Amino acid sequence: MCYCRDTESLTTRRTTAILSGLLSFVLLITSGCDLASRQTDDNTTTIYGAYTAKVRGLDPGDIGDTTSSIIASQMLECLYQYHYLKRPYELIPCLAEDMPTVSADGLTYTIKIKKGVYFTDDVCFADGKGRELVADDFVFAWKRIADIKYLSKNWWIFDNRIVGLDEFREYTKTCKRAADVDYSKEVEGLQMPDKYTLVIKLKKPWPQIVYLLAHLPTAPIAKEAVEYYGKDIINHPVGTGPYKLKRWHKGSYIEMVKNPSFRDEYYPSEGEEADAEFGILADAGRKLPLNDRIIMVLVQETPPLWFLFMQGKIDVSGIPKDNFAEAIDFRGGLTDTMKNRNIRLLTFRDPSTYWLGFNMEDEAVGKNLPLRKAISCAVDRDKYIELFTNNRAEAAYGIIPPLMKTYNPDIKNISETSYDPQKAIELVKEAEKIHGGKLPRLRLSMPGTDAVFRQYGEFFKLCFSKVGLDVEIDYMDWPTFQNKIKTKSAQLFSLGWIADYPDEENFLQLFYSKNKSPGPNNFNYFNPEFDRLYEQICVMGDSAERDALYRRAEKIAVKDCPAVFLSHGVAYILVHDWVHNTRPHAFGYGLSQYRRVDTAKRAAYDELLRSLK
Amino acid sequence: MNNAPEKITVIIKGRSYWADSMGRLRRRKLAMGALAVIAAYLAIVLFIYAAQWTSLDIPILNWGQKIGAEYQPPSRNAIFGTDFLGRSVFRKTLYGARVSITVAFWASIISLAIGVPLGAAAGYFRGFIDDVIVWLYTTLSSIPYILLILAFALVLREKSLNLKWLGVGKVELSGIATVYLAIGLTSWVDICRLIRGEVMKHKERDYILAAQSYGCGSSRIIFRHLIPNVFHLIIISFSLRFVSFIQAEVILSFLGLGEKNNPSWGAMIDAARLDLPKGYWWEMTAATVAIFLISLALNVFGDALRDSLDPKLKVQ
Repeated sequence: MCYCRDTESLTTRRTTAILSGLLSFVLLITSGCDLASRQTDDNTTTIYGAYTAKVRGLDPGDIGDTTSSIIASQMLECLYQYHYLKRPYELIPCLAEDMPTVSADGLTYTIKIKKGVYFTDDVCFADGKGRELVADDFVFAWKRIADIKYLSKNWWIFDNRIVGLDEFREYTKTCKRAADVDYSKEVEGLQMPDKYTLVIKLKKPWPQIVYLLAHLPTAPIAKEAVEYYGKDIINHPVGTGPYKLKRWHKGSYIEMVKNPSFRDEYYPSEGEEADAEFGILADAGRKLPLNDRIIMVLVQETPPLWFLFMQGKIDVSGIPKDNFAEAIDFRGGLTDTMKNRNIRLLTFRDPSTYWLGFNMEDEAVGKNLPLRKAISCAVDRDKYIELFTNNRAEAAYGIIPPLMKTYNPDIKNISETSYDPQKAIELVKEAEKIHGGKLPRLRLSMPGTDAVFRQYGEFFKLCFSKVGLDVEIDYMDWPTFQNKIKTKSAQLFSLGWIADYPDEENFLQLFYSKNKSPGPNNFNYFNPEFDRLYEQICVMGDSAERDALYRRAEKIAVKDCPAVFLSHGVAYILVHDWVHNTRPHAFGYGLSQYRRVDTAKRAAYDELLRSLK
Repeated sequence: MNNAPEKITVIIKGRSYWADSMGRLRRRKLAMGALAVIAAYLAIVLFIYAAQWTSLDIPILNWGQKIGAEYQPPSRNAIFGTDFLGRSVFRKTLYGARVSITVAFWASIISLAIGVPLGAAAGYFRGFIDDVIVWLYTTLSSIPYILLILAFALVLREKSLNLKWLGVGKVELSGIATVYLAIGLTSWVDICRLIRGEVMKHKERDYILAAQSYGCGSSRIIFRHLIPNVFHLIIISFSLRFVSFIQAEVILSFLGLGEKNNPSWGAMIDAARLDLPKGYWWEMTAATVAIFLISLALNVFGDALRDSLDPKLKVQ
């Protein structure tokens, strides 16, 4: 998932944000009061959450944004899911009976689907009663993603992967209307020997497929729902998950209630060693979900979200940058304000890396390794992390973040790009010799125009000017920035990547030459040795040999210095003491089912606030 | 002795309209104080430009230099404190004057260059030309001002002007140029309307009828007779609108559409907005006080100028 820090604060949205911020605040106050009163009126246990982004739609085939994915994941399921407690992250069956059986050549995956799994009751089914899930629901969902008339943004998942699916996509191009597409047309690589068995034939080995089968867009979808709701299906998720949609007030809140036809699933009884000690395993073996209702409040900006959290109207919150000092003291622990409210702090590593990338096809920087290294040595990463993330990050010197299994702690020494202004000055002199004279003014493209991006830009400019580099910062909105990247016209650019699944391949593909812009290799990096290794790696299953190759590939790329690696993110989460079983997860989305709420403690919070006043 | 009375000739020298007005203006002490403040701001801006053109390295203008620790409160070493990178807020505030005043100056010139001829043409020719111009400015004025500026700023951003016909070549529009073009192109309506009304009034006067009877052409009448006679309105408008252009620049910079690589007051306020919740108040204060002083001075001086140049308009 391509990521730039703070993309939500694009300037073009700012003016509307001022007005809509006021409006949403009013709505929030209204809905917040409403929620609080309902909370004490009934005996149901409810999870309250809030998000500061729009819910674009809950149709799994076209889902692409994080907020929609989190909400839809409470209602929709995939073949596989991540174990809630085990670390390193481990995939376990969800709608599948077991992990897939893979043929010796790695090309055929046979997956048995659980029997007795039912779609939630919905008017789209005959008599309004949800029917049983079958293999065809997956085949239908995936053909739908391939259908060019559907225009799914998730085709990248299956592009050139499954035998016959690309041909099916070509066929849909020949259809005049969406209704003309014949979904019964057979795809060789998607076979159903019986209604509970799915056989996937791949064009070439693709071990990462299992992670994609845990990715929400690959969730099954009932044909009846698509036919009944048509384009309005984005508002009507019909899934097999622990919750079903009850109410969605656009721009205000989404309410989900327990799905009565949800099968028997239980809270895990295994986790990490410390889990039992911290009471995370106290609910082991209990039937899921552990609460009756979820209410997700939708806000536009962080101040109202913070206000709701501090008032106890939502259970869990991140820490907005502006409220960091209120929540965390200079030692990195909770402040008294938080402790007095019995709020807990949870931290976890993000599978993310942020960088200033070089366009390796640019004449000035692409052919001048000392210049790239000089720029890299000029950036004070520790100061950057302190200034812009409140120390919620780790300095980066390589591609693979510490969360990943093959993270190389020695990468700092390998890259030889740690902060050293004196060395950077020497490297600039070397770079000038290669360039044949004074270096030209360089241009760094920033994917935003607001104050936060200007501060980033000013910081980098200061770092570069200290070593005698003349760098001009170009601030632009996100679409302009993307266009610049895709057309290879950016010289230096600020960007990052958050892994979609816990496999280092997801990071290394960013440096594979066949993925050059407009593909994900925005660096336009090319190294034949790296390419050879990548091609070898991406068809290998998980093994110690593959891990060693990952490290080797990273080492090759890092030595070429295609980017100034800046930081790996660390997430901070605040949780009220009435919420139990909160275990941060970097990849899983549908996690509300595991949380347990102590309603008595929640009810006592108002009293606690009064006493604090 | 019969002495014939001596003939005394007293020559009373008449005072011109401008001398009379300036005399009235000079008697206003508050206006003179405001003028001094404006002059100080202008002097700072001219000094910055002079230093730039002559490539002089004057420490007080080197706003990008780190002078101490980050977020240092105001002290003897850092008079207005330091920002998130340890740079002097005082130097940034001084430098910010360059952006704001340059933008306000050029925006005023552009808006006058469009508004005055259009207003004069509409008022003088009436008929179809008047209809078209009135339709144009009525349409423009029906769009909320800030939104209109934002739209222009977004459209003009990252564009280039082909000025080959002026022998200049291609001029990239970025930062400050985008801002004053956006403001200037959108804010000529008021002056156009004012000049149109005034020209309509003057058109019926004897001196214009005389000029017409002498066979003067329309352009000569407009530019040699009408505009000089309404020039005091242009000056008053210039001084009063200057302050609103400074504010427009601040708003655009605050919204991220202004000057990007150099400090401006709007950008300072935008950045300080993030720091204020942490208790770092000095950058916000410095930029706000700088804007407040120039706005107040321009308003006081503009009012005084209006009263002096056109006593009929004097607010009782």
